[in-house]
Amino acid sequence: MVQFIIRKIAAGLVVLCAISFLTYFLLYFSSSNIARNILGEYASQEQVAQKETELGLDQPLPARFLDWAGHSITGDFGRSWFTGEPVATAIATRLPITLTLVIAAILLIAVLATVLGMAAAVKRGWIDRVVQTGAIVGDAIPGFVLAIILVTLFAIQLKLFPATSSIAPDAGASAWAASLTLPAIALVINGVTGGAQQVRSAVIKQLERDYVRTLRSRGIPEREILFKHVLRSAAPTGLTVLSLQFIGMLGGVVIIEQIFALPGIGNLAVQSTTMGDIPLVMGVVLYTVVIVIIVNLLVDLINGWLNPKVRVS
Amino acid sequence: MKFGPKAAGAAIFLSAALALTGCGGGGSATGSGNGGAATTSLTIAELGDLPSFDPVDAHIGHTMPYYQAVYDTLLIREADGTISPMLAAEKSWNADNTVLTLKLRTDAKFTDGTPVDAAAVKANLDHFQQAKGRDVYQVASMASVAVVDPSTVAITLSTPDPAFEYYLTQAAGFVASPKAIGTPGIKTDPVGSGPYKLDTASSVKGSQYVYTKNPDYWNKDLQKFEKVTIKSLPDITARTNALVSGQIDGALLDPKTGKQAEGAGLVLTKSEVDWHGILLYDRDGKINPEMANVKVRQAINYAFDRKTILDQQFLGQGTPTSQVFGPDSGAFVADLDNRYSYDPAKAKQLLAEAGYPEGFTLKIPTMAGFEALNAVYSQQLSDIGINVQLESVPQANYVGDMAAGKFAAATFQLYQGEPWVAINQMISTSALYNPFKSTNPEIAALVEEVHVGGENSSELAKKVNTYVTENAWFAPLFRLNQMYYTSKKITVEPQLQQAVPSIYNYAPAK
Repeated sequence: MVQFIIRKIAAGLVVLCAISFLTYFLLYFSSSNIARNILGEYASQEQVAQKETELGLDQPLPARFLDWAGHSITGDFGRSWFTGEPVATAIATRLPITLTLVIAAILLIAVLATVLGMAAAVKRGWIDRVVQTGAIVGDAIPGFVLAIILVTLFAIQLKLFPATSSIAPDAGASAWAASLTLPAIALVINGVTGGAQQVRSAVIKQLERDYVRTLRSRGIPEREILFKHVLRSAAPTGLTVLSLQFIGMLGGVVIIEQIFALPGIGNLAVQSTTMGDIPLVMGVVLYTVVIVIIVNLLVDLINGWLNPKVRVS
Repeated sequence: MKFGPKAAGAAIFLSAALALTGCGGGGSATGSGNGGAATTSLTIAELGDLPSFDPVDAHIGHTMPYYQAVYDTLLIREADGTISPMLAAEKSWNADNTVLTLKLRTDAKFTDGTPVDAAAVKANLDHFQQAKGRDVYQVASMASVAVVDPSTVAITLSTPDPAFEYYLTQAAGFVASPKAIGTPGIKTDPVGSGPYKLDTASSVKGSQYVYTKNPDYWNKDLQKFEKVTIKSLPDITARTNALVSGQIDGALLDPKTGKQAEGAGLVLTKSEVDWHGILLYDRDGKINPEMANVKVRQAINYAFDRKTILDQQFLGQGTPTSQVFGPDSGAFVADLDNRYSYDPAKAKQLLAEAGYPEGFTLKIPTMAGFEALNAVYSQQLSDIGINVQLESVPQANYVGDMAAGKFAAATFQLYQGEPWVAINQMISTSALYNPFKSTNPEIAALVEEVHVGGENSSELAKKVNTYVTENAWFAPLFRLNQMYYTSKKITVEPQLQQAVPSIYNYAPAK
């Protein structure tokens, strides 16, 4: 078990290094005019040259990357080139918002998808048809269209929720809830349908299996069969879908954050990338990759716990 | 794919959702503002965040209100452009306009208790010059600052600067407490003498800044609210939603989103700040020899149907023009505004006279946001025989590439400032938007007249305007409207030549 975790983490670190270098490599080519963008249109050529030396832009690519990597390993991610804010602070203030949103959405999706998927698989009939129809609609509508519909309906016309949110550090839980509800709903509608479909298919397949017939013939109540046995077998599929959705959501949340003006990681990623603020972009990429690795590891562990056949000995 | 019941159900669901939201936003207008006390708080949105509260990071245009709330400037620019006393109660120039003496008011204090005195002003101006922030060009002509007595400062310029008083109403004029200058804390905790104080506990960097009334402020007339909140909403959809749902009282929109705001009962305040067109940089023919011929450049000016483009691309929000100087700049020449009509035949004739009856090829850059416009411009230029090649440039590199002289011409939009500001922006040999440093004895002499013109600078700039328009240094197309929408709870006056109103221009509606 411990070996398994160590191996996964090692693999994750390799991925981290590869992605870091790849990202840095791509950003390198866009950084030719950074100094001028930072200093503004009216800076003189000498000022621009001075800034370039200060930021290390005149160094060759490997030297710059190793310099950044060396600092990052010690925890020093540098400062934003444009605002001077430490990268770690910028991310630390924004990550909680995105993570809260995404985790809340994922938990809701997990619960709803399981309930809907199982209801569809077991009851069939009209529930099944509703779930399947909803799947088409939910998958087809892009996240940002949903977000706009939700904002227009609930925030502007019905005025039940705020249209944009600035979640101040001292805002209470109710302010957080009010701000994150509509974005979370947008994410959930998009994701729950795919998840419900997967759960439904997996559960249907399990219900056709021999062991279910055996359990029924032994007189075990249907509910116990469903929740204790079938769900455990259907779980791996569902969890895989869920983890994929979580990772996809980290990227997809960008547009949602733009529309609701949430000060989250997505917004930071967009702004720093368009401006070419390399320390910030690298910081965002790093944190995202780490989160993805952790999520993958957790999913593997949960899968292993639920289903002994999956465990690697 | 068969359209069975499932697809039909999906279609019905989707159209129902859209229909619900399509129900016009009319009638849900934000606070009618009558039958109750006037509002005591102001919430507005800006297009972006400010880099930091250090005055050296201040920049003209959109981010000014963030600083104006906490810092006073040495002089204040009224909404109509008049320069009036602020921290400097009196000002006087010497005979050759190289020494500006400011007598400071004695009752202004920073929020940390230190008085606003000559030493503080000197510390600020020196720091602004040394820190080389984005707007350091504003003090380019400043040679030294002397403390004459505790409430008098004498600023010596190395050369006359017709725009210097204007700069003292902008970034260069912000005065922060000398104890805070140079400390890292000033970036997040401004210490100024302005009408409001920053409430750091409720502010979130990159998202919103909350200011509360400064109880010791010396000018109660400028304090119209108890609380001011400025949100950073770069996305125009978010901005529109916030405005229409009543979350904010004012924001800048564009012609298309403006319609939604109007439907919701918001009030439009229009002002022309920018001119938009094609800058014909290559007047010496370094990249395109053809462009060195004035007839070629004039031909380009005759090629565009300004009115139609304005109506189609900007829903008519603006005024066609042929000159780069604005109506309120003092260098405006009314007759020049329609100097170049839409006349493709004349354009072709001019090209033939210049020796290019078959036209020529011109490469210009394009970036996100200009694609549709550049497509139209290419079309209209090809109608007179000029084959346009568009080269896509990343947005972040656009200004840099233009400034590096990579292109003979480029589509762009610039704000129309005071004449000396505009000349240094795009006409003088050191101007950023004159990458090939085009000049000749005639224009150099006219520019120099403005330089030393003192109070007549603006009037003398008319000659510069006439020269660059007749010689087609640019192909101006139109002046564009800034469309500022406000709720009925507040009133606002546009600020001359500034992208957004100054913080002083807002007031509660009666």
